[in-house]
Amino acid sequence: MVLKNLRGRVAFVFTETDFDVDQIIGVKNIKIQNIDELAKVAMTSYDPEFASKVKLGDILVGADNFGYGHPHYPPLRAMRHLGIAGIVAESFSPGYWRGEVSNGFPQITCPGILGLVERWDEIEVDYDAALVRNHTKGTMLPMDPLSQAERDMIAAGGLVPYLKQSLAIGRTK
Amino acid sequence: MGSTITEKILSRVAGRPVKAGEDIMAKPDFVLSYDFPGYTDLVFKQMKEEFGIDKVPDPERYAIFIDHMIPAATPAEEELHIGTRKWCAENKVALYERAGIGHQVGCEMGYATPGAFAVHFDGHVSQMGTFGTLAIGIRRNILEAFVRPEVAIRVPHTTRVDFTGTLGLGVMERDIFHHMVRQIGSASCRFQVLEIGGPALESLSIAGLQTITGLAMFTGAITAIVNPYKATLDYALPRAKKQLEPQYSDPDAEYAARHTVDLSVIEPIIVVPPSPANTQNLVDYLGLEIHAGYLGSCASGRLEDLRAAAKVLGGRQVKEGFQLHVVPTSRQIMAAAAAEGLITTLVEAGAFISSPSCDYCFGRIATMTAKQRAVSTGTLNVRGRMGSPDSEIYLVNAAAVAAAAIEGKIADPRKYL
Repeated sequence: MVLKNLRGRVAFVFTETDFDVDQIIGVKNIKIQNIDELAKVAMTSYDPEFASKVKLGDILVGADNFGYGHPHYPPLRAMRHLGIAGIVAESFSPGYWRGEVSNGFPQITCPGILGLVERWDEIEVDYDAALVRNHTKGTMLPMDPLSQAERDMIAAGGLVPYLKQSLAIGRTK
Repeated sequence: MGSTITEKILSRVAGRPVKAGEDIMAKPDFVLSYDFPGYTDLVFKQMKEEFGIDKVPDPERYAIFIDHMIPAATPAEEELHIGTRKWCAENKVALYERAGIGHQVGCEMGYATPGAFAVHFDGHVSQMGTFGTLAIGIRRNILEAFVRPEVAIRVPHTTRVDFTGTLGLGVMERDIFHHMVRQIGSASCRFQVLEIGGPALESLSIAGLQTITGLAMFTGAITAIVNPYKATLDYALPRAKKQLEPQYSDPDAEYAARHTVDLSVIEPIIVVPPSPANTQNLVDYLGLEIHAGYLGSCASGRLEDLRAAAKVLGGRQVKEGFQLHVVPTSRQIMAAAAAEGLITTLVEAGAFISSPSCDYCFGRIATMTAKQRAVSTGTLNVRGRMGSPDSEIYLVNAAAVAAAAIEGKIADPRKYL
């Protein structure tokens, strides 16, 4: 399975440590299921024009322990719907990280990322080199490499396709 | 260099010696879940429709708990339970319904086998670590454990925390946990196992250790574990679901970090909304008006917690208009509390007592309106967990919930003990 590098603009930088992702849509909207409605409320308290500024392939940047608390799935569903391709953070809270990687949504740990990028910089997640590059500034930082299972899960687009491929490989061995 | 208890357990299930940092395939001894929409119903459906699997091949490894939406309040909730009962019957998988909160019931039923490796989708299963079981919450990846024998896992590193000193009056294990988060940090054990030990360990109650290990996720840990000792073995071995050698960390095991927590300096804690990392001393919040109290959840509601509350409330009354909900964690605990007279004491004081259920904790019975405040022994204080996002939840120990119920404000439980 080929894992394609992420390349896109930094659509937002969450500087808050222990960031609770439910804040992206607001706790009062957490039970909304409709994806268009979710996308409409997403980020409104951070940048009311976020939805119109963001484009396909953009990347979010977070601080330490991103996803702490009791993360729900709708906020990041909304972000994917708006075109966000992945998240790079100083570090992640494990429960959140596990849940989103099983959705096939890249979650990249890169200590120092807050000092590497500013909003709207063009960055690239280079999986094979285990580097995050800032093409706007010409700088880079090492990222924590993913395990083979995690790479396969992201490349496959999530847990179910990953398990199907993995079981098929097991049978042909 | 020796091995940690975690490395030893995973070495057995991997079938070869493994060390922290290695990516392995490991066969869980137990695969546990509670029925919940979007989790178990989806897993059962995906097993069949996506993977063509009708039945799990070795049903004795699996157990399902019906503890959420108990009692069901809508036909849709009952539908979910019906689906779960049907799947368990068809698969010959053990189903524990209305027996209590699954993480506690799992311990009572022997899934917390010392030396075993268990997976669940919910992280609070870490409380089984009290008995030397490596129990990890893997969220939706639980599907993997239903469609093949093994799960992909990276052998975690371990942070070791040693308890020293003696716990003061009115201070409970709940306070130790939150004090520990304050001392070592809310991300200090990220992706690691939190191993708890030290000279003061055995002075704590098993129920209290379940509270501490069950909340491990708020240090960033994927689970917590305690090396078995006489009291935990006496509890866990006679009921163990599987004959396994208990495992122990070697004295020269390699730890990512070591910390010592002095129990003597800990005061009753209050965790201030909206983050489980916002730990303060209770005394700094005395007098803050409180409208509701909840004593229960997988992180509390055990006999020791009910005793503490009964001691505070014995011969006293819950303040007029204050809503005190007490929910024993399991049927066994509720029966024991009744036999001890604790239920009578609490009811006479004005507590509203419910049979075991997760519903007061996870946001189903969530009636608080904007500006209302609650004290709680639940797992979390995030916004909206008990109702309006503009209500507030303060996490405290069981005795402090009882003290607040008497005064209708944050109160120091020590004056009632």
